[in-house]
Amino acid sequence: MNSEVRSFLEKHDLLGCVQCGRCTGGCPVTARTDLNVRRVIYESIDEKMLDKMSKLPDIWDCTTCSTCAVRCPKGLKPLEVLIGLREVLVESGMVQSTVRDALESVFQEGNPWKKPRATRLDWAEGLEVKIAEPGEKVENLIFVCCTVAYDPKLQDIARNLVKVLNKAGVDYGLVGDGETCCSSEVYNLGEAGLFEMMVEDNTELLKGFAADRMVTISPHCYSTFKNQYPLLKMEIVHYTHLISELLAEGKLALPKEVSKKVVFHDPCYLGKKNNVFEEPRFILKQVPGVEVLEFERKKERSLCCEGGGGKMWVETESRKERLAETRIKDARALGADVLAVACPFCILTLDDALKAKGFEEEMKVADILEILHEAAG
Amino acid sequence: MGDIFVLAEHRRGELREVSLEMLAAASSVAPQLGGKITAILLGSGVNSFAEKLAGYSDKVLYVDDPLFAEYNSEKYQLALSDLISRYQPELVMVPHTTQGVDMAPALAVELKMPFVADVAGLSFEGGKLQPVRTYYQGKINADFAFKGKPPYLITVRESSFSAGDPSKQGTVEKIASPLKEDIQYRKFVEYIEAVVGDVDISQAEILVAIGRGLREEKNLSMIEDLAKSINAVIAGSRAAIDAGWLPHDRQVGTSGKNVKPKVYIAIGISGAFQHLAGMKAAKTIIAINKDPNAPIFTVADYAIVDDLFKVVPKLTEKLKELRA
Repeated sequence: MNSEVRSFLEKHDLLGCVQCGRCTGGCPVTARTDLNVRRVIYESIDEKMLDKMSKLPDIWDCTTCSTCAVRCPKGLKPLEVLIGLREVLVESGMVQSTVRDALESVFQEGNPWKKPRATRLDWAEGLEVKIAEPGEKVENLIFVCCTVAYDPKLQDIARNLVKVLNKAGVDYGLVGDGETCCSSEVYNLGEAGLFEMMVEDNTELLKGFAADRMVTISPHCYSTFKNQYPLLKMEIVHYTHLISELLAEGKLALPKEVSKKVVFHDPCYLGKKNNVFEEPRFILKQVPGVEVLEFERKKERSLCCEGGGGKMWVETESRKERLAETRIKDARALGADVLAVACPFCILTLDDALKAKGFEEEMKVADILEILHEAAG
Repeated sequence: MGDIFVLAEHRRGELREVSLEMLAAASSVAPQLGGKITAILLGSGVNSFAEKLAGYSDKVLYVDDPLFAEYNSEKYQLALSDLISRYQPELVMVPHTTQGVDMAPALAVELKMPFVADVAGLSFEGGKLQPVRTYYQGKINADFAFKGKPPYLITVRESSFSAGDPSKQGTVEKIASPLKEDIQYRKFVEYIEAVVGDVDISQAEILVAIGRGLREEKNLSMIEDLAKSINAVIAGSRAAIDAGWLPHDRQVGTSGKNVKPKVYIAIGISGAFQHLAGMKAAKTIIAINKDPNAPIFTVADYAIVDDLFKVVPKLTEKLKELRA
């Protein structure tokens, strides 16, 4: 056994696996694909299998939702084995061209969407925003996220956050056009080298701000900065945390009534990965007129929308119903007017599913910030 | 002195066009260099190639040996280094192909030849040959000068020169194989064909792409009609693929395929961000959608804001007229 393979086995503690199968049993994508996490772990124990395993299309079905890790009785992280196999494939240079393009774009432009860095702040045009200066003391440093900054459908999330913060008189500053991808998806796509480089660069950049804490819009950025940036010592919170604080301290008034039945979909990177369950619900409950509903599959049992884990760049070939569509049907069955989320990827997948199911008239998918902005008047 | 060697390339029983392109390039600089053009051919049962090459060169030197049946960089290097040492040409041209770039650097090191790779043009400055390379996707040309003494080595980019007509009648000389026995440490194993799908949308010049706006699969016939009239390939948004109207490999977008055709006609596609990211590199984008606020119009060169069921049949009719 050579040292590299020994480290794969050791890194993922493969021999700690008791092959109970709870990972596969709980894995949401097994409803659509042949991915069998337990078997992948078993076969990856054999060093000679790694190359072959890395070429299995199945390893790209994983959305890195962490259900397997939450359920593993031995505390292993089966999803990391799949990411590890992607790393083997990336190392061999044989990844899909869409993945290559996204990675190249992160390297060149600091975002995976092939958008010029210079237009990163275009969403803020005409808006009163505060950009943090390096060294300037701000209480809340705001990290917007590439997808929110560039996708015209999602830019409102950033605009709504800024408007709400302005209204509540919060001391904040945006990272600005130097903001660079947190690289959560770079990691999930298996480009460990690029990820390491981005972590170093971002740590250097963000340390330059004299901020007490950083607030992210996307749970993916939140989870990555919080758990995968060991040298970034500032506190990292998701925006639902900041808003909850403002509401609890009476700093944000919500004078307008929003008479809607709202069901909250727990984003995996907020819930399952970081145990943030209460803040989004607390916010929704503060909005006058809102009736908060709950999915049967909620919190750590929440059904993944299939937006993460690099799935924006790798399609699952299965024609079976997308999990986002299942989620939309469930929300509809509850009689919800709004399916509320707090994650840009969730909005993209769920909104597509809403159209696919033809429920656009009856229901909408909205970020919590949209509801909040409406209530704040 | 002043002679030019051109290594001919062949693969699976075909003489490759780049061989003739290099001979044409050699012809264009031979007068200034004041030498003859020699085509070098290594293979097995390649007499007909030798005859053909004679039409474009002053001399053909060829090895006919079963040991050269398939390309092998070690064997090629051995043969070329022997020939170059013996004949001392001024310039050696090797194609900038997977074969050529596999062998040329090692050859340059072995014979200590000044070497310029990926040459797309040849010019002269002060009586000295200067290979030209391109940068920034052809926007900038850079002239190179050789340091040191000839023979010089260049690898020539495919399609950079046009193959001329056969206008010469060179002599054909079969030479003894430099190999006495096969090389054991590097062997040809097999050719692996790229898997070809039904149609590769990333290679299509004209794409007609459909979205959910098409409503039903039966409306696809209308689109097929349009595509046929302009020799276009049909692709689709994720929504159209999800609906089962088209096979998976026709999906345009960051999770499907990134495309950059000359013309992209988006029909009933509102333009999700991932879709736009996958097709905005197209040269000309024509979008048909009844919603004037559809994001697809932010990247479109031509926008038709109307019901696609009205527009497409009329468009097809006009295109057919124009083509008739």
